[in-house]
Amino acid sequence: AFMAGVSPSPRWGWAVVGGAFLQAGLVFGGLRALGLCLGALGGSFGAQAGAVAWVGSAAIASLQLGGPLGSALSTRYGARPVVMAGGFLAGMGFLLGAFATRLSHLYLSVGLLAGLGWALVFTPSLGAVSRYFPTRRAMATGLAMAGASVVGLALGPLIPLLLDAYGWRGSLLLLAALSFNLMVAGALLRPLDVPIESPRPPPPRGQAGLRGLLHHGPFLRYALAFVLVDAGYYVPHVHGPARAQEVGCDEQRAGLVMAVTAVADGVGRVVAGLLAARPTASLLRHLFAWSVLTGLALLLLPLGTSFGGLTALALAYGFCAGAIVPLQFTGVAEVVGAGRLLHAIGLMQMFESVGSLLGIPQCSLSGWLRDLTGDFKVSFLAAGAFLLAGSLLILTLPSFFRTSQSDGSSIEGVLDPVPKGLELSSVPLSPPN
Amino acid sequence: MILLGPDLTTAGFNEEINLNKSKALYVEYEVLLPGESDVHVEKNIFLGSAVKIELSCRLADKHSHMKILQVTWKKGNETIKHINKTEISWGIQLTVSENRKLGSYTCTVTGEKEFSVVFHLQVPQIAGREKPVVSYKGDSAILICESRSYTPIAWTWYMTNGSEQIAINDSLMLDKYVIDKADANVTHLKILKLTEEDGGTYWCEAAFELGKSKGKLKLKILSLMVPLKPFLAIVAEVVILITLIFVFELYSKKKEKRAEDEKEFDQIEQLKSEESNGVESNSARHRKV
Repeated sequence: AFMAGVSPSPRWGWAVVGGAFLQAGLVFGGLRALGLCLGALGGSFGAQAGAVAWVGSAAIASLQLGGPLGSALSTRYGARPVVMAGGFLAGMGFLLGAFATRLSHLYLSVGLLAGLGWALVFTPSLGAVSRYFPTRRAMATGLAMAGASVVGLALGPLIPLLLDAYGWRGSLLLLAALSFNLMVAGALLRPLDVPIESPRPPPPRGQAGLRGLLHHGPFLRYALAFVLVDAGYYVPHVHGPARAQEVGCDEQRAGLVMAVTAVADGVGRVVAGLLAARPTASLLRHLFAWSVLTGLALLLLPLGTSFGGLTALALAYGFCAGAIVPLQFTGVAEVVGAGRLLHAIGLMQMFESVGSLLGIPQCSLSGWLRDLTGDFKVSFLAAGAFLLAGSLLILTLPSFFRTSQSDGSSIEGVLDPVPKGLELSSVPLSPPN
Repeated sequence: MILLGPDLTTAGFNEEINLNKSKALYVEYEVLLPGESDVHVEKNIFLGSAVKIELSCRLADKHSHMKILQVTWKKGNETIKHINKTEISWGIQLTVSENRKLGSYTCTVTGEKEFSVVFHLQVPQIAGREKPVVSYKGDSAILICESRSYTPIAWTWYMTNGSEQIAINDSLMLDKYVIDKADANVTHLKILKLTEEDGGTYWCEAAFELGKSKGKLKLKILSLMVPLKPFLAIVAEVVILITLIFVFELYSKKKEKRAEDEKEFDQIEQLKSEESNGVESNSARHRKV
């Protein structure tokens, strides 16, 4: 029977976080595994390394450009069916890729199709998590996104083993099977019995959903901030091993630096989420702090010229960079209100694809700067500059200086029937953080 | 390596015989002996083309006081007579222009103790691949060999059939083998339309001025059935987990419904009993102080 106003037991929220943890792991882990498999193609299609690398970029672009689609579909049909469909598509993408006979097949299957599947998985999962944890979004999101770090670390040694045993075709086949587990993650996203949103007042600007957000000034600035952040964020991930070898580390030590960064990243996600889960926390200010720190870490990274120095700086970078992740996806609620969170995340993903394409491919800006100057120092400095520029944009948001409280009336597990923004114009009850 | 014993400094000179350019390259190697008098030092020197080379062994400063009875240079069992002597070093000059001249040259210094240094003059080594290249039936595979620092004159590919090595002639079997010679330092062997018989050991042979050198590669051909088994296992796991999740959800919803129904039933019963009791129950309710 339909019970108005009652949510499932709060305990199921943890299962939802688990599902989101799994999908974060499989989406971003899958992306990383794809990159490794592409590296093992070894000229099989007569294509050069650059052309092959673009398959990975196609997947990322597809994942991010599909963000609004994911949020629109899950608003209409709920997270569960959309995520399960996305998981199926992602698996099919890898499956078809295993039988590719031409590079173009890979672009379409593992690039576009898998990326589209991931788009249908990622945004709705975050939306489901935030619906189950309306007062502790940052914490729940941080825990969920830590999945990407954990699985990423596990895949590091696993994928080369798969490639040695089964070659790239066999590895893509097995990655397809692993990607079908996204459907398991989706199954866990039990829909909430939400009372139909009739008591919701019309959105402030009169236009609902995606289109309204496109006219929302602060949101556009928030999204632009993350386009800038993305242009710098991935530079250490993409060029890290090469930089480690530049300062004299051998392959094993370079791998160790990257592993340390990944662990710090995962810990940063959880810690930042926990820190921001306190009721008096201003998500935007935490976000600003962490992104400034990440920018500074990037600016300092070129100073790491020994294995120890580089590892220490990489650790600092990884921790701060991880901290940004949960705050990016939950801080937007402070800008556009909790009711439009899902659409905002989707749209933001779409804008971010611009930044990713600047920062991720090997033939990107950072690669070009390296070729121009001879080493990666300038690339890291440029990345840090992008991060700081993005942080400055966050300062310009109206909600930044307004002290805010989280929805005080909500008890964990009970839904707000009226989605309202976290901005309150009342007098602050506690000093700002 | 811990310095426990005396040390010998060895120096190698080499001067290229090239009429177009005169380039003298001076390379000095310092090797520290681990200790006992009959353990000797070995040095590998790779020669890509003909050179004039000077090999010398030199006593380190702290042992310059040692009384030297005899210094011998040998190639194999043959003693080399002409030694360039200085106060603390003994060297030989060689013109290495053919394969015969390559080999191991030993310098033995006999004094209070005996030390020896062996120089191994050889053609550059070609690295193959330790791990086998994995490919599937019907697919194509590419085997790559590289000689980075030294440019070979020619490359030849061999396939192993039983115990024999058979040269691969790509002009005879155009639709099966393609050898790419785009770069002199790198060779690619592309094998098309793979079958199980194509699996095994392959050799890439680089011909240098002074001799030939081989690298070993292994090719493993699989059928798609091989990864299919783990694939099906994981898909089965997915189906099972999804089924379990949905079954659990239906079960817990039924339990909830039953609990709700029971609660409703109890509430109705309580209301009925309150109605019938009426005023009495109200008066019965008083605060405990």
